[in-house]
Amino acid sequence: MPADSGGTAPRSAERASAERIYFTLAALIGGVIGVYFLVVPVFDLNIAFHFYLMLWITMASAFNVAAGFSGYMPFGFVAFYGVGAFATAILVKSLGFPVLLALPFSGAAGVLLGLLFAPTLRLSGIYFAIVSLALAGICRLVISNMPEEITGGSFGLQLGSRAQPVHSFYVMMAVMLMALGVILWLSRSRLGKALRAVRDDAEAADMMGVNVTRVRLYGWLIAAFFPAVCGGIEAWYTNVVDTETAFNTLTTAKTVIYAVAGGLGTVTGPIVGSVVMVWLDELIWRQFPLLNLLILGVATVMLVLFLPRGIVGTLLRRRPEWRRYVP
Amino acid sequence: METLVLNGLVNGLIVGGIYALIGMSLTLLYGVLRVVNFAHGEFVIGGSFLAYALFSHLGLAPLFALPVAAASFFALGWGAYYLLLPRLQKSDDPEIMSFLMMYGVSLALAAAMLLMFDADSRSIDYSFQPISMKIGPIYVSTARIVTFGVTIAISAALTWFLFRTLPGKALRAAIMNREAIQIVGVDLVKLSAFAFALASAIAGVTGVLVALVFPAFNPFSGAEYSIIGFIVVVLGGLGNPVGALIAGVIYGLAEQLATVFLPQAMAPIIGFGLLVAVILIRPTGILGWRAQR
Repeated sequence: MPADSGGTAPRSAERASAERIYFTLAALIGGVIGVYFLVVPVFDLNIAFHFYLMLWITMASAFNVAAGFSGYMPFGFVAFYGVGAFATAILVKSLGFPVLLALPFSGAAGVLLGLLFAPTLRLSGIYFAIVSLALAGICRLVISNMPEEITGGSFGLQLGSRAQPVHSFYVMMAVMLMALGVILWLSRSRLGKALRAVRDDAEAADMMGVNVTRVRLYGWLIAAFFPAVCGGIEAWYTNVVDTETAFNTLTTAKTVIYAVAGGLGTVTGPIVGSVVMVWLDELIWRQFPLLNLLILGVATVMLVLFLPRGIVGTLLRRRPEWRRYVP
Repeated sequence: METLVLNGLVNGLIVGGIYALIGMSLTLLYGVLRVVNFAHGEFVIGGSFLAYALFSHLGLAPLFALPVAAASFFALGWGAYYLLLPRLQKSDDPEIMSFLMMYGVSLALAAAMLLMFDADSRSIDYSFQPISMKIGPIYVSTARIVTFGVTIAISAALTWFLFRTLPGKALRAAIMNREAIQIVGVDLVKLSAFAFALASAIAGVTGVLVALVFPAFNPFSGAEYSIIGFIVVVLGGLGNPVGALIAGVIYGLAEQLATVFLPQAMAPIIGFGLLVAVILIRPTGILGWRAQR
């Protein structure tokens, strides 16, 4: 590339133009997503399908912060989701909070849980994954063993007649756009770069003056916040929360699979992965509802074996020069 | 109260033996292949369903299902290895990707069992004569005593195999150093296939025992056993079969004694708590011996 041998001026000009393409692309993707979801309720399209599509985009993007940016694989990701769902339900049901006020609190509950789990960030690789899985199990057991007046026991909690599908749809959309915005910012920011540096080589990053513990914690808390809010909104949308569905390991599985299918480490990866996989899931589910789980399992195996870097990741590997343009 | 505690101890030993078998096979798999088998619990439940099918369709007693399970799961494991693993080793981070891939296998197996056997909980309607025996002041069902005998026999045989025979020593050497063992002329691919097959065979046999000891099983109980397996493996130190044996028994005892003092549903919390505590305090496991990379 001529820019490398040339002076600083053409190089910075080239960087500026790359930056322009990057942000134009980001704005374009954001705009298309925004407008598309905005008109779904207006034209009376399938609200449920699109609600869950946005939910999965948000979940997979948040997972991406932990897995793609920080290099942790939290296989107990559902813990944040479940705790968020129960936080919203309990606040609304027992303390009479309006739902919109309860949602920030459920996000805070997720962050709190993230802080509680922060000591596990010392672990790496497979140890972290297993402990995360076990912690999600503990969360489920603790909540299902709480007194019935608080968590509703095995029947769960009903939020009463507060369901407003269209309202929760738009709130979900706002949260999704917020998550995507945060991750776009993260991928360009100092924190994001520090996170990637720590992921690739924690000791080297430490030598360069990066506060490894703090950087990891910030990444972790961002990843913990959004699933908790998602859980809260889903509780509002479906009007009911119980431990079996709120802490279903399938939630983690889908999040991981969607994020990996798109490609970890990029902003667009989880979006592309979720869109493709949720759409596929819907298609398969309609055709063969019984075989759904079997196909999901086989799809996961095929994905790991034949597309381990995901759709966007594989594309960027084929064309490394696109890396600077693709958010 | 004393009888209850004694009961808890005896049941803990019996259940612990089963957990030890699950843990030993899982840790062998991890040690030799660096594959975290999320589907191990489904292998176990597959063994239970095999025993169920043999008994209800052919009238074969569960004890005769043991060799059938061992042979068929050995063959299945051998095939699964060549189907799945060689390609996986090429990915960027095979260890984490193996976790995800085996998660997919676990979903697919659970779904397949669901399609074959429906979602109902099953149990094998078979009883030994006499149904139970008196040991000291307590009664223990004969099925549990037989199971205990079988677990001891299998773990003794496995330990002898690992420490006294050449293939067993090769397995342990592979756990310690996968590169060096190739220098001395061991075919790592064949050895890995053998390890996968052996671990699957033990899982299948354990499944038959699970069907004997636990009241019921269904296509989705696999995940429980996978998680117990992980806990046992981590407690014993990743890739340490002897550690897994001890940890399995400890976990079984802790779980069964917990049910004496605490409500039934709280017992798993003890296990999970034990896992988190051990990992944070002593990440190398209770024996403090970590398999070298």
